[in-house]
Amino acid sequence: MQAEGIDHIKFTTISPDTIRKLSVAKLIVPDTYNEDGYPIDGGLVDQRLGVIDPGLKCKTCGGRAKTCPGHFGHIELVRSVIHPEFAKTIYLLLQSTCSTCHRLLLTESQVKDIGAVVKTFVTAEEETEPTTVDITTLTSTISEQDSKMLLVKKLKSVKKCPHCEAAQPKLKLERPTFFYVNGNKIKPDEIRDWLSKIPDNDLRLYGIDPTATRPEWFVLTTLLVPPVNVRPSITLESGERSEDDLTHKLVDIMRINQRLEQDIDAGAPQIIIDDLWELLQYQVTTYFNNETPGIPVARHRSTRPLKTLAQRLKGKEGRLRYNLSGKRVNFSARTVISSDASLTIDQVGIPRRIAENLTLPIYVTLWNIDEAKKYLESKEYPSVINVILPGGIRKRVTDVTRDELLKELKPGQILERQLIDGDLALFNRQPTLHRISIMAHTVKVLPGRTMRLHVSVAYPYNADFDGDEMNLHVPQSLEAQAESRYLMQPHDQVLSPRDGRPIMFIEADELIGSYELTKEDKYFSKDDACRMLAAVGVYELPKAGKNGKYSGRSIFSMILPKDLNLEAKSSDGKVVIKNGELIEGIVDEKLVGMSGGALILKIFENYGAKATRDFLLNITKLALMAAAAMGMTVSVKDYYNPDALNVERAKIADDVARKAESILESYKQGKLERLPGYTRKETLELLVMAQLEEARRIAEAALKKNVTVENKAYLVAKTRARGNILNFVQISMLLGQQSIRGRRPSRGFAGRVIPYFKKNDKSPGAKGFIRSSFFDGLLPKEFYMHAMGSRDSAMTKSLVTAVGGYLQRRLINAMQDFYVGKDLSVRDASGALVQTLYGGDGVDPTKEKMAQEQKAK
Amino acid sequence: MAAPRELIPEHELVSESEVKKLVKDYNIPLEKFPKMVASDPQAKKLNAQPGQLVKIKRHDPTGKYTYYRYVVQG
Repeated sequence: MQAEGIDHIKFTTISPDTIRKLSVAKLIVPDTYNEDGYPIDGGLVDQRLGVIDPGLKCKTCGGRAKTCPGHFGHIELVRSVIHPEFAKTIYLLLQSTCSTCHRLLLTESQVKDIGAVVKTFVTAEEETEPTTVDITTLTSTISEQDSKMLLVKKLKSVKKCPHCEAAQPKLKLERPTFFYVNGNKIKPDEIRDWLSKIPDNDLRLYGIDPTATRPEWFVLTTLLVPPVNVRPSITLESGERSEDDLTHKLVDIMRINQRLEQDIDAGAPQIIIDDLWELLQYQVTTYFNNETPGIPVARHRSTRPLKTLAQRLKGKEGRLRYNLSGKRVNFSARTVISSDASLTIDQVGIPRRIAENLTLPIYVTLWNIDEAKKYLESKEYPSVINVILPGGIRKRVTDVTRDELLKELKPGQILERQLIDGDLALFNRQPTLHRISIMAHTVKVLPGRTMRLHVSVAYPYNADFDGDEMNLHVPQSLEAQAESRYLMQPHDQVLSPRDGRPIMFIEADELIGSYELTKEDKYFSKDDACRMLAAVGVYELPKAGKNGKYSGRSIFSMILPKDLNLEAKSSDGKVVIKNGELIEGIVDEKLVGMSGGALILKIFENYGAKATRDFLLNITKLALMAAAAMGMTVSVKDYYNPDALNVERAKIADDVARKAESILESYKQGKLERLPGYTRKETLELLVMAQLEEARRIAEAALKKNVTVENKAYLVAKTRARGNILNFVQISMLLGQQSIRGRRPSRGFAGRVIPYFKKNDKSPGAKGFIRSSFFDGLLPKEFYMHAMGSRDSAMTKSLVTAVGGYLQRRLINAMQDFYVGKDLSVRDASGALVQTLYGGDGVDPTKEKMAQEQKAK
Repeated sequence: MAAPRELIPEHELVSESEVKKLVKDYNIPLEKFPKMVASDPQAKKLNAQPGQLVKIKRHDPTGKYTYYRYVVQG
């Protein structure tokens, strides 16, 4: 973001005189409304401060609730108070000026000495100028912070004033607003007095411009009261009025102020006056910031902390981040998503009810006026909702106005038409972590109440269909529509900007379908083949095999481009595609799935984005048909072990446990060799842990040996369509070692995890080794260990996401306006250089293939 | 100079004529180049003064490229 036309901005403090001039009313009554519900003159909702109730007139500008902008008032404080946000600055000024003559604790020559220090900041061009540096230019060359630091560091330790020779007292600031001189509290009046005596020229050295700000203004004598528009009161249904927190706070301030005045006039004892004075200071401090450290929080009657000035602005829910950086938008929709295998990755299914409410402008011209007329004439669904005349006047189309608007229709008008099939809309799922979290989809109006998307685009959005909701935005301007069309459609985003590999691919049911379909010796009847191919819009059959049936591979080949040639590796071996014919190999995850997607990549590179989109649609349909034709069911039977395996399983657990025990035994006998860099105890834990973790690996091998081809649970895990082998092992064999922060569970009771065990029992079972499987069910002690492990991983996971999210936010804020220039250098918004060559190599992973081909030419 | 020298890319001072060319090529004033402080060990080694430009020849695993840093006080 670049500011244009702003030369400079200067922040200054406001003076009591300015406050009085700004004010339209001096407020004297610490109350709001009288018994009749009418604003009290001189009260906090004085009608001179503006009006918010409809029907009343502002006594300052005569405006009504909608037209009166509100006017500031003021309170005269009987005794001055420190402005809490300036306490530090005041402290700094007091420390570096004389307590007697109030001059800066520097001799003239020392001021020049600072000039010498500062001179090194002056850049080369200025160096040729005379060495005597004017104080004013001096402060402009170094930052305010630097000059303050310099001064205070030097002057804190000065014992005697160089001007009047007076000894300097010890100063102390007790947060937030109390000052001590030699251990005695000094009052704001005295501080104000001191500050007002600091000469103008000395102030320049601090970077304070005395023509704009005098330090005595840091001590308040008048308080500016914001207009009622800033702190509107709410009328409840019961007719009761509820005032804003700021108004409450201001009432408190005025009440104490009034009491203080009365007590002073009545000649009350000094202690009472001082107490009230401090109370006034507290009220003013909390008025500015109710989270000031070191003082109690001011609360509402209901014990809810008051939201005062600082709280309005601060943080995620503050004015800046919530209202200014975060805006709400029109032309958007949100609902639950669900999947639809007959939509392409470019489409999004929109419920009719949403389509009827969202609009797209038709900019009427001579060339589209007939089309525009058609929509304007229509009384139902694809019709026009508003007509915007050239002056910007918006007219709603109703049965009454339609005929007239039709007569007046001419180029230059804008019609707001309901959303129809083929319109572009931006589709988004939060958290929006990367650019593929917002893509432009083609609208397809469908019955139902959910938005539909193709399963393969769920992955880039990180969406699933267990209740996820997504947002839709309709780009209104032609520029926005063009950008969406040419940059943001899913088919242009198939390759990941991270590694240049496809991030839209097939998963789960489709993946297992594709795997089974392209297995060797898989044949389908003519009926099945016809049904499957018709689903993808292919109305011819491949060549039949020798048995008169059709091989899965030949069916699969029908959705491949006719001149495609590819040799790739699948998980089981080689895959060969020749002239669009799958000759050898299984089309699995490495070709069309998450790890690799070689086939999708090849199609994208050779046949383009739109061919990839069509291929993804076809393979989804075909593979789903194949899976349905063959049947793909995981059942309890798949996890049931034969007796022999159960025996082997017990042996595995025994073996591992025995080996672990023997390590423990050698530790007890003091024979265990220490590993480099570890104590003996650590060595024991390390070795035992490693030994026990072996159990799962051995169990996995035994399970794999036992498993049959019919075992779909295993198949599904192996092809990475759903679940993994570890899940299978934990269900059928054993859970294995549980771990907490990478170690065996150890805490809980003295020397043991649960009192069930003996103290200092280091045996496998006592330290979270679980021999049961989920199929068997867990023993109570095992269940406890497992719960510990689960909680540990749940905690770690939530911590990692929180930390990662914050890191992401910081990075985005830091880099949001960087761009890659024509010369491949990275610049920020001001054009300043960030990197001479993008990423150090100038590579865009999604364009790597193109770059290589260009090089080859 | 704590890091092993083979881990530090080659630094060299940029001649005045080349500075002029770079300012023109990148179309930015010298101050908008990335910065390095004069007390940086590599700047000290070259005796680089504030206002000068240092060229860094980087040989990363992914490619070779040159980087520039404008020396500032510090």
